[in-house]
Amino acid sequence: MSTPPVMIETKSLIKKVNTSEGSLQILQPISFSVTSGETVAIIGASGSGKSTLLGLLAGLDEVSGGEIFLDGKPLHDMDEEQRARLRGEKVGFIFQSFMLVQSLTALENIMLPAEIAGLDNPKARAENIIKQVGLEHRAHHFPNQLSGGEQQRVAIARAFITEPKLLFADEPTGNLDSANSQKVEDLLFKMNADLETTLVLVTHDDELASRCQRQLRMNAGELTEVTEPLKVVAGGQ
Amino acid sequence: MGLSFNLAWRLFKHEARRGELTIILLAIVLSVTSVLALSLFSERLQQALTDRSAEFIAADSQLRSRTPVPDAWIEEAKDRGLKTAFQISTRSMVFAGDELALSDLRAVDTAYPLKGKIKITDSAFGQGVKTDDSPQPGDVWIDSRLIQLLRVDVGDVIEVGDATLRVNRILSEIPDGGFSVFNTDPMLLMSDADIQATNLTGAGSRVNYKYYFAGESADIESYYDWLRPQLDREIHRWRSIADDDSPIGRSVQRAEEFFLLASLLAIILAAVSIAVAAQRFSQRHFDPVAIMKTLGASKELVRQIYLIQICFITLLGILLGITIGYVLQEAVVALLADSVPVSLNTWYWRPLGIAVFTGVTCALLFSLYPLLQLFSVPPLRVLRKDIDATLSSRALQFVLSGSAVFLLMLFYSGDFEISAILFASGIVLVLSLIGMTYLLIMLGRKLGSGGMGAWTLAWARIRRRAMGNSVQLISFALTIMLLLVVLVMRNDMVQQWRDQLPEGTPNYFIANVTESQKDGLVASFDENNITYENFYPVARGRFVSINDENIRTEITKEDEEPAQDGRQGLGREANLTWSTVLQNGNEIVDGQWHDNWQEGDPVPISVEDEVAQRLEIEMGDVLTFNVGSEQIVATVTSLRKIDWQTLQPNFFFVLHPKAMENFQATYITSFHLEQSRKSEISSIMAPFASVTLFDVDARIDQIREIIDQVSLAVEFILVLVLVAGALVLIAQVQASMDERLQELAILRTLGLKGSRIRFSVINEFLIIGVVAGLMAALANEFSLWLLQTNVFQMPPSLHIEYWGIAPVAGAVVVGLLGALGCWRLLSLNTSTLLRKMV
Repeated sequence: MSTPPVMIETKSLIKKVNTSEGSLQILQPISFSVTSGETVAIIGASGSGKSTLLGLLAGLDEVSGGEIFLDGKPLHDMDEEQRARLRGEKVGFIFQSFMLVQSLTALENIMLPAEIAGLDNPKARAENIIKQVGLEHRAHHFPNQLSGGEQQRVAIARAFITEPKLLFADEPTGNLDSANSQKVEDLLFKMNADLETTLVLVTHDDELASRCQRQLRMNAGELTEVTEPLKVVAGGQ
Repeated sequence: MGLSFNLAWRLFKHEARRGELTIILLAIVLSVTSVLALSLFSERLQQALTDRSAEFIAADSQLRSRTPVPDAWIEEAKDRGLKTAFQISTRSMVFAGDELALSDLRAVDTAYPLKGKIKITDSAFGQGVKTDDSPQPGDVWIDSRLIQLLRVDVGDVIEVGDATLRVNRILSEIPDGGFSVFNTDPMLLMSDADIQATNLTGAGSRVNYKYYFAGESADIESYYDWLRPQLDREIHRWRSIADDDSPIGRSVQRAEEFFLLASLLAIILAAVSIAVAAQRFSQRHFDPVAIMKTLGASKELVRQIYLIQICFITLLGILLGITIGYVLQEAVVALLADSVPVSLNTWYWRPLGIAVFTGVTCALLFSLYPLLQLFSVPPLRVLRKDIDATLSSRALQFVLSGSAVFLLMLFYSGDFEISAILFASGIVLVLSLIGMTYLLIMLGRKLGSGGMGAWTLAWARIRRRAMGNSVQLISFALTIMLLLVVLVMRNDMVQQWRDQLPEGTPNYFIANVTESQKDGLVASFDENNITYENFYPVARGRFVSINDENIRTEITKEDEEPAQDGRQGLGREANLTWSTVLQNGNEIVDGQWHDNWQEGDPVPISVEDEVAQRLEIEMGDVLTFNVGSEQIVATVTSLRKIDWQTLQPNFFFVLHPKAMENFQATYITSFHLEQSRKSEISSIMAPFASVTLFDVDARIDQIREIIDQVSLAVEFILVLVLVAGALVLIAQVQASMDERLQELAILRTLGLKGSRIRFSVINEFLIIGVVAGLMAALANEFSLWLLQTNVFQMPPSLHIEYWGIAPVAGAVVVGLLGALGCWRLLSLNTSTLLRKMV
């Protein structure tokens, strides 16, 4: 069996920010890789640097040092436009606060990435995928007319419409109650498995993290592999 | 392009439907509406006034000649689609039995007058009624004075030259009869077919020929271009509707300046509301832009989406604005149709162009900075909400909006000076307001410390957001100030116009009153309970030289080469008066009034400053007049400025009585007779048959009518500006409500009672309103002073009452708007409030 190709690779990745008291390094040199189709959770307390790392991996932010390769492409060498193009081609996103465009309907929100990427029949694709998340009856509702759980399902549909190679999820259930969380998690992992997407998930929920194949812990800007199984409260795996 | 268009259209469609574009759309609609309505209305009013002026020359243009012009000239005019009419005039004695009188004789064709109407009356000095008829061959229409002088009545015959004609009507007025208290003979109107028979126009007689033309102005211009090379300056004079220097003309001109100013202010107000609304629009789209960028949208795509969206909004705003603006001014015109003769059913392209230009400039230039900010939002915002636009340059914002305002001012006024004055004073104003705001916020600091009362919370908030608040305060202050400026200017101006013609304004002038008749007249006036003005002595003199240098007496146009050698003259005989008392409405601008002349000094004369400038008369010049066979020599010792807006006899030249002690004076005066007593005039004047009587009621009515219509127009503009101001205030409160949302949600969540939060917010707006009102009142004085002295040439005045009204009105309006805004927010429950924040 051949080894699957590497989807993400970082080498000595660092991030510094300028503060009133001078430059502050918020990510220590980070080197790790994620293979194609793998599901990886990055866990850690608030302020540990998880979201900063996610921002860098997704090309939303610029690195201060080191290298990032996304599907073999040198993200650290690209300008904002090139990174945006790469995201459009290969990356899907799910956010804690859903990040739907308030003035577009559920269906139009789902169509958006397909349109930006220039895919054929974005509407047919969106109509198809909205069925998969069970919201076809809400297709023409606006985000503020949907519940939190429904909004996140729309966001999941939006993330998968382009069949991205890579999906980043930032606390996808952070704003949901437990019943909705469960539904959204199930949907996320099911679609991820169906499409064999590489998933990088940032969370402080150990239970959610434990559904991923691999867990990495972020602590004060340092990333370490979790080797022990995570302690999960009742209801987890 | 297809994608960005689709996305832009989708966003636009949904947002418009959900009412999220309302404010920005309203702002554009309002700017277009007000500009279109204002300029369309003023254009139509102006057209109506031009038509009115045309009535004074009975045509759009007139060719005067001392000899008949070739028939080909008239044929050419007809070929060019112009209507023509003809009048031949001369002065001649007319006879009726033993009576005789010198008359101003006018023979006209049936087409006369092309503009305006001839007015006739049933009885001498009765009310004039318009008629479309004109004298038929054999008939003559004579005016009331001639009726009086010749002692004839309708149906009698009179002799005009060799012809005998029947008095058919009593003439009240002809459109181009002219108006002068001096120098007019009673008028006689007859058919030009009879002129041959009178034998009055033969060789040696002084006859004037007038040819009238009416039609499209372009046709008239092209005709004049054709005609001009053939005209002989010595013989011909072309006259068009020139600048009217009468009181009416000046009132209208001032009103136009006001229109211009008010429209500028309305545009600025609308522009400010667009800027505020665009800022809010931009901020609400930070998230969608970050999302789109995250999902792979290029900068170019984002840019296109929003530029196209702004174009949609602008287009819709302009379309709505044009529709509403047109309907609105149609409605106003329809409402005023009875009282204001604006020209109807005409469409002017200029106002439309200005309106579209305004809409586009306002929408694009004022939303440019917010849009640039929007484009600069980084995608990372999807992870970190605290990341805002990376572009933040107030300098750029000020430059962009400043140049937009200036561009609009310049485009709209077409006057660099007015634009520059307004713009520069605006900048000075904004800077001083910023200073004042900071000072006030500092002062308020002391008040803001202590417990957690509603007032304390209010001050604390004001203090904390000093910068945001100072911008808000300044815009409130500016808005209130602009409203005040328009309001005060309107009040002052309308008042000034009304003062010109107070109740009891003289409606009759009498001239040629001899010394012996004076006392009798005074007694008669007193007996009949008639109020009359001063009696001014008058003598007519020929102005012959300045410092022994002869001046020409022939009439020539100023911009034409001199027809004769010699200095520029008055062009007609001068009316001289003499007094040691300075007349009302006269002001010495140079030298000294001659009330303390000493025997032995040269005899002094005072000259009106504009005529002095025109004739190049300077202080100390020696002027010579021929009065009868005598020569009067006087030295210029003062120059006077005259308020021509008063309807009283005014004189270019006022001599010291010493100069005239050997002359027999005649007097002129004026008096007021109520409309209902007009029939008494014949009996009152009967004992003084040689006195010349002028009825100027028609003229006064005309001025009143124009003042009324212009005042109404000014009222209409005031309303538009008020609406614009209200919209700005609403946009500002709306924008600041968004900022307050988070704080309100937190306070509410923390359990602070709704009523206390509400009061603290209302108090905050009350404070802002009072301060803004006070600053507005101060700024108002400054701007008014600038405007009154530089633009309107009015005496500057203080407006203390507004120092009280403005803060109170500011507090009430701003407080009320704030209360409404926050009531809506606070009526939401806490969780909705928190969700709105996300």
